[in-house]
Amino acid sequence: MSAKPTVVVTGIGMVTSIGAGRHEFWNALLAGTCGFAPVKSFDTSAYSVHLGAEIQNFKAEDYVRTLDVNSIGRSSQLAIAAARLALADASLDLTEIDLEHAGVCGGTTSGEPQFIERFDDHYVHDELRKVGREFITGYPCHVVPCHVAMELGFSGEAMMIPTACAAGNYAIAHASDLLRARKASVMLAGGADSFSRITYTGFARLGAIAPEVCQPFDRNRKGMVPGEGAAMLLLELKDHAIARGARIYCEVAGYGLSCDAHHMTAAHPQGEGAARAIRMALDQSGIAPEEVDYISAHGTGTLTNDRLETIAVKNTFKKQAYKIPISSIKSMLGHTMGAASAIEAAVCALAITEGHIPPTVNWKEQDPECDLDYVPNVARKHNVRIAMNNAYAFGGNNSSLIFRARAV
Amino acid sequence: MQKRVAITGMGVISSLGDSPATLHSSLCNGKTSIYQFDESHLNGSGGKGSGRIAAFRAQSYLRGKNLRPLDRTGQLVVAGAGLALEDSGWTPEHLAEYPVGLVLGTMFGSLHTIAKFDRHALEQGPGCASPMDFANTVINAAAGQTAIWHNLRGINSTISSGSASGLAALGYAMDLIRFAGQTAVLAGGADEFCFESFCGFEHAGMLHSSGSLELPVPFHASRTGFALGEAVGLLMLEEWETAMARGAHILAEIRGHGSAYDSSRQDRGMAVRSIVRAMADALNDAGMSPREVTCISASANGSVREDQDEAVAIQSLFNGSSQSIPITAIKSMIGETLGASGSLQAIDLVETMRSSVLPGILGLGQKDPLLPELNFCCEQQEINQCHGLVNSIGLDGNVYSLVISRGPGKT
Repeated sequence: MSAKPTVVVTGIGMVTSIGAGRHEFWNALLAGTCGFAPVKSFDTSAYSVHLGAEIQNFKAEDYVRTLDVNSIGRSSQLAIAAARLALADASLDLTEIDLEHAGVCGGTTSGEPQFIERFDDHYVHDELRKVGREFITGYPCHVVPCHVAMELGFSGEAMMIPTACAAGNYAIAHASDLLRARKASVMLAGGADSFSRITYTGFARLGAIAPEVCQPFDRNRKGMVPGEGAAMLLLELKDHAIARGARIYCEVAGYGLSCDAHHMTAAHPQGEGAARAIRMALDQSGIAPEEVDYISAHGTGTLTNDRLETIAVKNTFKKQAYKIPISSIKSMLGHTMGAASAIEAAVCALAITEGHIPPTVNWKEQDPECDLDYVPNVARKHNVRIAMNNAYAFGGNNSSLIFRARAV
Repeated sequence: MQKRVAITGMGVISSLGDSPATLHSSLCNGKTSIYQFDESHLNGSGGKGSGRIAAFRAQSYLRGKNLRPLDRTGQLVVAGAGLALEDSGWTPEHLAEYPVGLVLGTMFGSLHTIAKFDRHALEQGPGCASPMDFANTVINAAAGQTAIWHNLRGINSTISSGSASGLAALGYAMDLIRFAGQTAVLAGGADEFCFESFCGFEHAGMLHSSGSLELPVPFHASRTGFALGEAVGLLMLEEWETAMARGAHILAEIRGHGSAYDSSRQDRGMAVRSIVRAMADALNDAGMSPREVTCISASANGSVREDQDEAVAIQSLFNGSSQSIPITAIKSMIGETLGASGSLQAIDLVETMRSSVLPGILGLGQKDPLLPELNFCCEQQEINQCHGLVNSIGLDGNVYSLVISRGPGKT
């Protein structure tokens, strides 16, 4: 085989607490809109925190056309909405592609958590007989990409990569490999998570949820805000995109994945694994550190994440670290778990084409340990040719993706 | 030049033994699983033959560190990984030097921990929820725990494709070696047996029920469903040249893999076609023709529809030769182990190549007359074979196929 084929992004779609679809989402992001509100999907009166970033007024029936909308969980509904938006954005005519090799690769933290939560409700009320067939057909996390594939008639690989809060990046990395190996015609890759009682309970118990506001990299940051959402990117080989006259956002230049092998819920104290993922992504992309124009941070807003992420960036980019704008959109839409890095990947693609960087909002006071350029509070015009997307997860799973402007 | 992928070691913990050789001889001798079932309060009609591995004690595999952070899935995977690392000759010193990857296929992850964590918070209040349990509620928990225990710092990923997850993980890991510069990746699958998944399958009427058949026999005329088991199976995959350079013993080679999805979920013709495509893509990836395949390890588990679709697909792809290629299926003996199943089939296929004996399908006295004429292997048979095909077909239409060839050396 000759030179490695190039994978490009030709469509993006997302559903978030601050807007759905590229235009609405991007405008809200640049305006610094926040999607936080008291949690509605379950009763938080027994909790010490009440803030969440749920999607209000989501109408699944606007997007789910083939499947019975009531037979699938909310994560599947969100994923289908993101997929439909991505396909429309890509102007993809489904009759013109090889559907038998069109695949879906999803990422998630919890899959369809409401199904097991309902199971548990029945259990504690001694009503297990009420558990019906829908638990086994609706709950397992792989059903999310399966539902997207069924909805669209995609008959290539349908896979879920449940690597928690870094899952979207893992999904995009795998989809890119499948395309480069010429095993797929097009891939929808991304992530989805619906608001989960289990996840909220866990982060509340860890004291990781911010009571009032999410303020990544700020000295007085008090934690993350759990959210929900989905994003899908349409990926295809460059030749395939050109042949069908598609608009190209950018190339997927490469990825880096690594494992801390240190602690389940705490990152490595020197950000060692995160730094290895960044270096691997740079190597695989053939890009020098000084070429990176923008970093979309994991930036959850917890004390340790933001400090360690800053260390990892400094350790790999050295002095250059101070010159690269870094922002965390989690300051606006909270932490959308498995969807987060997929939404942030879409942000990288948009930053490249729009020449704009979204801000880290709610930033007030500099933390001496977080002293990089976090694009505080106001969006910035900036020529972005190369963007890096960082995401980290429980289990010590680290990921960095690199997107590059289309070669002219 | 295309990189080649070697299998240099294997680890398994199952109801039929905790070494590849024991598993294989149990399968060849037609032993059935020793599962322990203590969910009798459920009073269902299904679930015959389901249960936990009766003999599994984490302490006998895992010494020297605190076991408390590991739930059952975590224990199985950490222990299975230890066996595979040992078998392939990776020592803690080597692991400190080279970042080895881990790709774990699982359908449910730690479902019991997820549910227990939630119920505890419901009953005692959210302030009483256990942080240690919370760490294990993410579906990638077992892979993370295993990385910590064995110091696996390479790419760490978790794959979910339903009960095809284990085979999907092997294909995914193969591509990490061929296309992402990894040199050593531990890959396979695992699922625990737990009350929650059992209850789900039972209420959905998918389990083998107490009819005329003692076992859930693949391809049998009277099959009614599968028996739910548990296991872990992991294989050490290494880039061929680096494996040779470190003097590793190469057991077999993974030649190619293919995947497909039945997006119709209604149309039997489409379902069959998705299986044909996965097998054809795997052979194409391996650069082989169907004629070169010398045995098939089928996914069939006793499910009425899925077993038939697979048989029809094999007949369709292998057309002329399908009456001579011996086909085995191991799930009447070991049950449906979900995420582990595809990796157990792969492990047994490697053992089949090493021993030249293919296990038979236990209990297949009366083949379903609706199935095409295939060479179902009813008794263990000697087989001088080099190229095997493994199928794993998920309960929700995810299909994976893998081609394995015999290793170079004598065994």
